[in-house]
Amino acid sequence: MGSGNTLDLVNPCPPGYQPSSPRTYVVAADPSLRVQILDIGLACCSLEVGSAITTGLLVDSATVPSPDHGTTILLISGTVTDALAPAVLRAWEQVPEPKAAVSFGACANTGGPYWDAPSVTKGVDQLVPVSVYIPGCPPRPEALIAGLRQLRDEITVN
Amino acid sequence: MTNSIGIPAQAHGVIALTASACTSCMICVRECPAWCIELESHDEEVTEPGARRPRTVSVLDAFTIDFGLCMYCGICVDLCPFDALAWQPDFDYAAGSPSGLVQGINELESWGKSRE
Repeated sequence: MGSGNTLDLVNPCPPGYQPSSPRTYVVAADPSLRVQILDIGLACCSLEVGSAITTGLLVDSATVPSPDHGTTILLISGTVTDALAPAVLRAWEQVPEPKAAVSFGACANTGGPYWDAPSVTKGVDQLVPVSVYIPGCPPRPEALIAGLRQLRDEITVN
Repeated sequence: MTNSIGIPAQAHGVIALTASACTSCMICVRECPAWCIELESHDEEVTEPGARRPRTVSVLDAFTIDFGLCMYCGICVDLCPFDALAWQPDFDYAAGSPSGLVQGINELESWGKSRE
């Protein structure tokens, strides 16, 4: 079997691929809400996250300086397969404390339309402790902001 | 065209139920590709004055949509013969657990009511 045909289950990304490092954003309508997003874009949901940035709902933190770094949020969107699950787990382990995981969309929440597929993880909460589940297939960019606010409120209460 | 929350009125935000219009025909439950709708009902006999025999009507007991599973395709909305299901543009109903995304009659009936 040639090396080109093997799939490394620990690192399923193609050789030479470097996943982008987490970037820090600020919710435009709520500058006190500062989030680091490591967006594991696995399916169409990642387009909605990108839309939240391009429409200005999320803005780069460089334009809004703030000394408070707050909780680092791992935003998991899209269809996680069992083959990719170790990569998601490793991403979670690399997020610095304090941290929280947000599941974005039906596939990440429960497996969604693939709830009966043998190769799909039935919810990323089987891998990491999820604090907020954002519903939608895919959710709107506004739903992402609402979910992040809900998470912030829970962190503030606790 | 957008509404008061700035979202297009026809957006696939959430599915609202008008329970009084539902006849428990089960078409939505059977046609849902994600199997995210559950419905329970029982039959009651209704006797009307002058009728030759009592009519049998289905009474809705429980109706839940699991928005953790829902793929927001709208097949249930399109196929409902009695327009008991309708899209509402609401998006702000994230939950702290997967079971929090399962909504029953009370929640499903509340969508869209606040803006009418």
